[in-house]
Amino acid sequence: MEQNSKEILPARYLNDHIKADTREDGRDFLSFRPVSVNVGSIKNADSSAVCRIGNTGAVCGIKAELGPPHADAPDVGIILPIVELSGLCSQRFRPGLPKEEAMCIAKIVEDILISSKAIDLTDLCIHKGKLVWILNCQIMCTNADGAVVDCCIAALMAALKNLTVQKVEYTPESNEFKTDPVERVSIPLKQMSIRTSFALLKDDLLIADPTSFEEDMATSILSLAYNEKNEIVYLHKPGGDPISDTLLKKAMSKAKSHTEQVRTLISTAQSTVEKK
Amino acid sequence: MSPDECSFRPMACELNYLSNSDGSAFLKQGETVILAGVNGPVQVKQTKSIYNKATVQAVYETKNEKRLAGDEGQLIRLCITKTCESALLTSLHPSTMIQISIEELEDNGSSLACILNSSCLALINSGLAMKYTFAAVCCMIDEESNNIILDPNTLQLKKAKAVFTLVFDSVKKELITCQSSGSFKEEELLTSIKKCREAVHHIFEFYRDIVKQYATAI
Repeated sequence: MEQNSKEILPARYLNDHIKADTREDGRDFLSFRPVSVNVGSIKNADSSAVCRIGNTGAVCGIKAELGPPHADAPDVGIILPIVELSGLCSQRFRPGLPKEEAMCIAKIVEDILISSKAIDLTDLCIHKGKLVWILNCQIMCTNADGAVVDCCIAALMAALKNLTVQKVEYTPESNEFKTDPVERVSIPLKQMSIRTSFALLKDDLLIADPTSFEEDMATSILSLAYNEKNEIVYLHKPGGDPISDTLLKKAMSKAKSHTEQVRTLISTAQSTVEKK
Repeated sequence: MSPDECSFRPMACELNYLSNSDGSAFLKQGETVILAGVNGPVQVKQTKSIYNKATVQAVYETKNEKRLAGDEGQLIRLCITKTCESALLTSLHPSTMIQISIEELEDNGSSLACILNSSCLALINSGLAMKYTFAAVCCMIDEESNNIILDPNTLQLKKAKAVFTLVFDSVKKELITCQSSGSFKEEELLTSIKKCREAVHHIFEFYRDIVKQYATAI
């Protein structure tokens, strides 16, 4: 019965919940869904992580390849985030060509990586102008139930924190390189940034960590990413209803405390892997 | 605050530049030049049609091939679509499409702000009903001096610690769209928003002047 009313009268379904001071999954307006992270689950990748935020899930695998750097930046490595929203993660997506939404997410992920200076790209350089590491970060969404980008970022950060690459010996004279199959070097993650989303429902009601149903009903979506120094590295609000400064400040303080929790969670997940 | 204090680069605009569009604007902010055209309401493909409101679609062209082919263009398109959609009364034209075409002729910094301003002028020119008009301001925080610079050019942007593009509505002057790059503190963001909000009324005044020039009957 409840399911029917959600599909037939979504606005009323949402209103009924707001009136009862709750949300469809029983959360408070400004509380987040449980987050879980698992590091190193894919053995074929150089580093990998799985992240879940409520029902939303994302898998990130990083493959490091050797290649020549860009001509205009010869001493830095390359990070290529690729985001895939396949048909299996939500009924909104159909299999086939890359979707506009996936391209936007890939750009947002890239922007956050650059803005937060998550990885010092010079660490990826083996020999200037000749050989650098190219990190292919493939992120796959397994279930899109709101806050997909947050989940992608968390998975990517967890994977980057765990990243090791093969040791390379490069001889500039002969332009040859040799990789060491056993010994691995870790690439340090300088700043771990975590992104949190908020949705603005009608009558200026701010809710944290919206589900996909709430995202559809929202008048506006706001997202913030914080780094370890409590600086904002990304603020994104694409259109929608105007937001007042008070709500923005409220969102900022909530995001900051949640970011701290997720960061501790990822570090804990990381340390359990190291013990093994 | 006077226009000089806000240090906006000189703005110039021509409306009705295109003859086949329902509304068009040719906007110059400093050396950044954007041409915007609006067509609508026009017929929409079945797959994109929304039964209770108009679909807003943005087309963005630039000579910067890297931006056009890459994901960045897609994000700019999203930004234009969502911002215009929030201002337009889309429910007046159900099952139709409003198409906004942007051609970036010259980019010398603050291009996203200029794109959004020109699309707003084109929307005003097209006569489509809107909830409010909007104005975009680009501002950056200098890396060394921590000064806030409004409407920066490419040269200034190279020294930026953080860059924001902020869009305000004309009624309450609240934030519609926000896009940032670089890292910054919360206070820096709030002061930037405050400063941009003070400066934004010059852009609204500029809109008013332009429309007055073309309004011959009144």
